[in-house]
Order: sequence, then C-alpha cells, then structure tokens
Amino acid sequence: MSELALFIVRTGFLAVIWIFVFSIISVIRADLFGQKVVSRVAEANAPKVVSAPVAPSNPGNQSLVMQPSGSLATKLVVIDGPKTGSVIKLDQRELTIGRSEDSDLIIDDEYASTHHAKLILINNDWLIQDLNSTNGTYLDGARVGTPAVVKLNTSVRIGKTVFELRA
Amino acid sequence: MTNVAANLPKIVRVIPRNRNIEALLLLFAIGINAFELSQVQLSILEVLNPEIFLYLLPPAFLAVILHGIMRLRASEADPMILPIALVLNGLGIAEIYRLDLGTLANGGTEVFGVKQVIWTVIAMAVAAAVIIYVPSHLFLRRYVYVSMFIGVGLLLAPMLPFIGLNINGAQLWIGVAGFTFQPGELAKIALTVFFAGYLVTRRESLAIVGRKIFGLRIPRARELGPIVTIWAASLVVLVLERDLGTSLLYFGLFIVLVYTATGRAIYVVVGLTMFITGALVASRFMGYVGGRFDSWLNPFTQANYDANGGSYQLVQGIFGMAHGGLMGTGLGGGIPHLVPLAESDFIIASLGEELGLVGMFAILVLYLLLVSRGIRIGFNHPDDFSKLLATGLSFVIALQTFIVIGGVTRVVPLTGLTTPLLAAGGSSLLANWIIIGVLLRISDSIGGGNRTVNL
Repeated sequence: MSELALFIVRTGFLAVIWIFVFSIISVIRADLFGQKVVSRVAEANAPKVVSAPVAPSNPGNQSLVMQPSGSLATKLVVIDGPKTGSVIKLDQRELTIGRSEDSDLIIDDEYASTHHAKLILINNDWLIQDLNSTNGTYLDGARVGTPAVVKLNTSVRIGKTVFELRA
Repeated sequence: MTNVAANLPKIVRVIPRNRNIEALLLLFAIGINAFELSQVQLSILEVLNPEIFLYLLPPAFLAVILHGIMRLRASEADPMILPIALVLNGLGIAEIYRLDLGTLANGGTEVFGVKQVIWTVIAMAVAAAVIIYVPSHLFLRRYVYVSMFIGVGLLLAPMLPFIGLNINGAQLWIGVAGFTFQPGELAKIALTVFFAGYLVTRRESLAIVGRKIFGLRIPRARELGPIVTIWAASLVVLVLERDLGTSLLYFGLFIVLVYTATGRAIYVVVGLTMFITGALVASRFMGYVGGRFDSWLNPFTQANYDANGGSYQLVQGIFGMAHGGLMGTGLGGGIPHLVPLAESDFIIASLGEELGLVGMFAILVLYLLLVSRGIRIGFNHPDDFSKLLATGLSFVIALQTFIVIGGVTRVVPLTGLTTPLLAAGGSSLLANWIIIGVLLRISDSIGGGNRTVNL
C-alpha cells in the first residue's frame, strides 16, 4: 500500500477510537444531567410554562399540599441527603426507616437511630411514627410526637435525609 | 419569555433505553476491532485475507450473546461497560495478532493470537454465566468467609511445591500438565468479596470509635488490627512471591475499601505509610526487589541494562514508545517485537509504539471510563455491600492498570501484573471478564438509579 494510504488509515484509526471515546462520554453526560430531583412543592411554586413536559395536574399549590395521602401515594422519593434520587415503592402496609440494615429505607447518617421511624398505612392514610429516636423525625418542619398523617408531597426529614410521598 | 426559560427545573432529559445504547456502542466497538485487524493485515501482509474473521467474529459473537442475555435478564444494567471492555479486548487481540505476524515473518513459531481468542471466548462465556446464574448481587454476600479462604488459597497456591512455578523471578504461577495459570488474578475477586462483606459489618466501629487528638480521630488499636493483619499478609506475599505489584494491589484494594466504608482519610495515610516503609525495608534486604528498584531508578546504566533480569526490557519498551512518538507508526508499522514479552507484560509499550501518544491516551481514557462506570455503580447502589463490592472491583482494575502502565512508563517499579483485558494471558482475561460480569449484575439491581424520578 502506498505511504499516503497508510497514513490516512493510521490517522483515521486514531480518529475513530477517539470518536468512540467521545460517544461514550456523551452517553455519560446524558446520564449525569438527565437525573434531576425537585421537591414537588417547590415545583408547584415555580412559574408555569405551557410547554413544560411535566405540568402539575393540579392547579395551585394549596390543593397539591392538602391532598390526603392514603392509597394515592405509591412511592417514597428521597429529595435530599446522601440517597437523593432513590425511590421506594409503597407496596407494603409498613415501611421501616433507620440505620439498621434490615430497614426498608436505610439511612446512613450519624443523626439517625438504628430503628428510627416507620411509615404505617392505616385507614388509607400513611402515618409516620417516630420509634423513640435520639434526634427526632420532622414532618414539614415540626418534630413528630404521636404518629402523624403524612400528606402527599410533604417533606419528612430524618437526620440529613429528606423524603416525600408521591402519587 | 427568557426568564421563564431560565426557570425550567422540570425539563427532564429522557434517556433512551440502556440496551439500545449498548447495541449501538457494540456495533461501533465491533467496527473498531475490524478496522484494527484490517489495518494490521494491510500494513504487514499488504492484502486483506479472511483470517481477520478468525480474530474478529468469536469475541463479537460472544458480545452479542452477552447483550442478548442482558436484554432478557439484566435489562437495566450499565450500557457502556460491555462495549468498552470489548474494544480493549479487541485492541489486545489485534496487537497480539500483529506481533504474531511479526514473529512468523522473522522465522519464529511461538504465536499467541489464537490462544488469546480462545481465552476471550471462555472468559466472556464465564461472564455470561455470572449474569445468568448469580441471581442477585447479594448472593455473593452469603459466601464472604468462603471467599476469604478461596482468595487466600489462590494467593498462596503458587508457593506450593510441585505445582508452583517461578517465571522471570516472580513466584506467581501454577503449572499443571503443561498449562500455566496465575491464580492471583482470581484471588483478587474473591478477596474483594471478602473485604466488602467484612467491612459492611465492621464499618460502624471503624468509622466512629476512637479518641480525638488535635482534631484527628485516632482509631483504637484493636480497630487497626485487621489493617495490620492485611499489611503483614501483603508483605508476606511480597517476600515469598517476590512481586511488589501483587502485594501493592491487595493492600491498596483493602485500604480503598476501608476508606470507602468509613470515609476517614486517616486509614489511607496510615496504610500508605506502612506499605511504603515495608516496601523500602524489603528492597533493602531482598536482592530481587532491590534489583527491580535499581532498574527502575537507573535503567540506562550499562550495568543494569546488561544484567540478567535487569532493565533491558524496560529500556527497549521506552525506545519503542519513543519510536512511536505522537501519532505512532500505525498498527503493523512499528517493530514492537524487539521488546521481550511484547504480547503480555509489555503490550502497552507495543501499543504505545504503534498508536503513539494519541492512541495511548485513548486507551487510558477507555480504562478511566470503565472504572468510572464501576465506581458510579457503587455510588448509586442503595445496598452497602454492593457499594463496596462495585467500588472494590473497579478499583482493582484501576490500580492494576496503574501499576502495569506505570511500570512500563517508569512511574513505579516494574512488576509482574498484566494489563487488564489487553495483555495475552488466560487467567487475566478470565478474572477481568468475571469482574465485568459482576459489575453488570450489580448495576442491574440499582433500580431506577439511572432513570429520572421526576415523574
């Protein structure tokens, strides 16, 4: 083969292998920036855009917050803390939260107790019960004493972790 | 409308399904492998002949089968790991084939290409078996202590009489009935499973207990016990198997997993200090390790160059890479067979000569991407054991790549480890494809980690 052809093949190969590298990087980029978790309440307060792909179905944030949870809630979404972005399906009647490894939501945090709290489904409402934890469980900013009803899209904070129940 | 456009938290980039991305990247990878092999034939034989298919099709076929298995059994698995691994493996096969053609042209008879293809097929089949038969990542957790015994057993196997082999000064091989095998390669998987399982149960005490001195929390002596044990074991490996790389690999793996489990840098500082001290003392008192150090620091002195087991190979590799320069000589255009063991230990020098600095960096970036995918799997995984396992397995690939390529390029002393997925050698291919299989299996169980939750 002529020198020129070999030169083209040689340079072409280097180009192709770098194109491969960059196509992988572009997939990773989509993976990194495709993930976005925003609190539903904050989202409802954000200005509405007609063309938004995920428009909240309920107009106004009042009705969004005041909905009863109950059987409507299908999943628990972690919106802050080390596990931001994880989703747990609410398909049982009870969900345990804590540092221990048999918890349904394992919170790896110095401020969480081994068996910190649990969510229980009673009369179509999800109740949060604090299991006498050291640092407490906060529902919408207030410390939970007796078991309290968790409404849809209301933040629950345990240590550094914040989660919401969503439909 | 501009300020509205700036307030768009709800726009969600929807990712196409993982497996379709993988299919595209796999096609690309197979294309790259075909390109390499035809380039080799064009520049050495000056014609294309169907021998290409012997080297191209078996790995490509297995990759397609793996892809199909994942569509059925692990549809959420990471889409980039398999294509990257296939490109690296194919690049290795093409370079080994190129070296074989060089050997045959120079009247030699020892060829490695076909053997490498056979081992690739076996290794990929084992990776497929891992994906099919390991039902979940937690399955391995039941065998934490079993894997400790397997790992230590494999690590010590080369020291056994009769089957242990000493090749080029390092006691790393076993030989049975003419076949040689490097059991340390498989030991690294078993030991990662053990370390991950052990640290998941111990992380609490390692992370929290200890007195505070000058704002630094110093771990209690008994918490340091396991670290001292592993350190002593890695030094025993260094002394008995006479290989600095293997010993650094296991100790580094353990330290990184302790750091991942506890988040405390003090373990890294203490561990590295201990290892460097140990290695320096060993190099002072053991002629073999000291010789390697001397060849590393002064490779160009005539005495080291001429010495048996001296720096001849290292220097030839460096000359080769210098010959390649920035753009390389092109696959098949260089003279990489001047370096001893060009197809295994020094494959990176051969590739550096023929692909140049530009190609070498592409290879390094591919390793970086492979490792970063693995570490991301660990980062995303909800389960602690899987977190540690994925981090550990990817770190093993990273550290081994660093030790080998660092050895060839004179960043660290040269050791007897193999370049993952590139170098000729069955045990290395087998171990690394098993790691790929386990990583794919773990990544499938993340569950929603790669998808947006903004539904």
